[in-house]
Amino acid sequence: MRILRSFGLALCILAAGGVLSLVLPEYHLRLLNLSVVASIAVIGLNIAFGYVGLISLGHAAFVGLGAYIMAISTTRLGLSPWLAMPAAVAATAAFAVAIGLPLLRLKGHYLALATLGLNVSFVIVASNWLEMTGGTNGIAQIPSFSILHHAISDERSFLWLALVSLTLVVVVATLLHHSRYGRALISVRDDELAAEMTGIDTTRLKIMGFAFSAAYAAFAGCLFASHVRFISPEDFSYAHSINYLAMLIVGGEGTIVGAILGSVLLTFLPEWLRFLGNAYLALFGLLVFLVLVFLPTGIVGLRKFVRGPSRVDRSVQAAAEVRP
Amino acid sequence: MLACNNLTIAHGDVVAVSGVNLQVGAGETVALIGANGAGKTTLLHTISGLNKARSGDIQLDGTSILRLSSDRRVALGIAQAPEGRRIFPGLTVEENLVVATANWKKIRQSCADDLDRVFQLFPRLKERRTQLGWSLSGGEQQMLAIGRALMARPRLLLLDEPSLGLAPRLAEEVYERVKVIASAGLTILVVEQNTVLALAVADRAYVLEAGRVVLDGSAAELRNDSRVREAYLGR
Repeated sequence: MRILRSFGLALCILAAGGVLSLVLPEYHLRLLNLSVVASIAVIGLNIAFGYVGLISLGHAAFVGLGAYIMAISTTRLGLSPWLAMPAAVAATAAFAVAIGLPLLRLKGHYLALATLGLNVSFVIVASNWLEMTGGTNGIAQIPSFSILHHAISDERSFLWLALVSLTLVVVVATLLHHSRYGRALISVRDDELAAEMTGIDTTRLKIMGFAFSAAYAAFAGCLFASHVRFISPEDFSYAHSINYLAMLIVGGEGTIVGAILGSVLLTFLPEWLRFLGNAYLALFGLLVFLVLVFLPTGIVGLRKFVRGPSRVDRSVQAAAEVRP
Repeated sequence: MLACNNLTIAHGDVVAVSGVNLQVGAGETVALIGANGAGKTTLLHTISGLNKARSGDIQLDGTSILRLSSDRRVALGIAQAPEGRRIFPGLTVEENLVVATANWKKIRQSCADDLDRVFQLFPRLKERRTQLGWSLSGGEQQMLAIGRALMARPRLLLLDEPSLGLAPRLAEEVYERVKVIASAGLTILVVEQNTVLALAVADRAYVLEAGRVVLDGSAAELRNDSRVREAYLGR
């Protein structure tokens, strides 16, 4: 039932995106593309943070790793983007497993700080490994994806690629959420000790969730690289990691719809409020604050106002808010 | 079935359990009673593999399990319903139960029979099967915690203070269920502060004081022991 609903959601995304691709001007299409790519990264972060409860402030590093592997293998080795992308995703997931083994022994603030360190290190390596990454000059002329010799280089056709990718990612994430692994991941978030007592290998699960999350990030990174066609270390600084986290929390952690809503809103908001100049950050801070106070479950929590809780089964309603 | 031989457990420098010998035979219900801070929960956690032992040994059917991880021990048949229930608030009742089958369930295998058995034992859980864990009352959560432990198909069930924080009538209800589980032949080791309840279901009991076993014997003996009556039964 829930799975059917997720397919419904996927169809909605395609339909809404399809309509928008016809009516929106180029500039807004570009923003929309960036927000769809961010959505994919944030859905990945949701697996680590929303399901397993791992506070990661280094998500942008995984986005960057995917993007760099994609950029280097297409520009240097002349690999087709279609081949480079799965390689980048797999390599990033493998890296996440390797780094997760020592990192995920940490919990809470310590893990947050360690992942932040990972992100900072990533930027330093990317800025200084000149032969490989081009340093702060970045890598230019990353090829676009192409289908039957039609390059997906303009905003409108890229939107379709991004939307199809997002749909795919949503379906996979939903299947994961409702699989035995998804349940086990959530049990680790809820109570690690109890999860261990019930026979769950929590270490293995945490690493698996972390790797999954990194794979999503890498996927987003590949799309980003082929969309913008130029990447530099700044695109993956820790500020972006914090932004991803803000998107997830504003949208509604633990939910896929929330991840998408948050990503779209926080991509468009800075543009709408551009006239504010530097005052934007103050307003942004206030907005996030208001959301956290009045909608602790994120924007998806707004649903309760739309439906109105029935008195009969308020507990069921309340339950649905925590984790629809 | 379970044997703790000269077991000493320490949290850092603080010795919580020292030189404990404890046996649980197959099919027995054994109670471990004692005051707050006597080391009961520490001992149970160590049997589950959540604490390390400093010295001594824990054996299951004659082989040491001291080096095994928690999930391996669950796979060997030791499941625990922890103190304070610790159910998963973000999962539904049914998911809470199904998640505990991780150690034995293969991908296409069904656990419907196990679910039915738990629902038969705790019909209230069946009514609430689609509700999220946090929305249950304390008594229902305790039943869920026990049910979850049973889903792991244990041979030895560890119960940590199943009466904790429950109204007396609910606590009795929980213990009635424990009796049913025991009479079905499952081996149970129950840790309890509520000595009356524990001694009512147990065959044998150990009294733990400041990390040492100070008394052990059949439940009937302990019920009539003057020290136990004075210290724990309050009459």
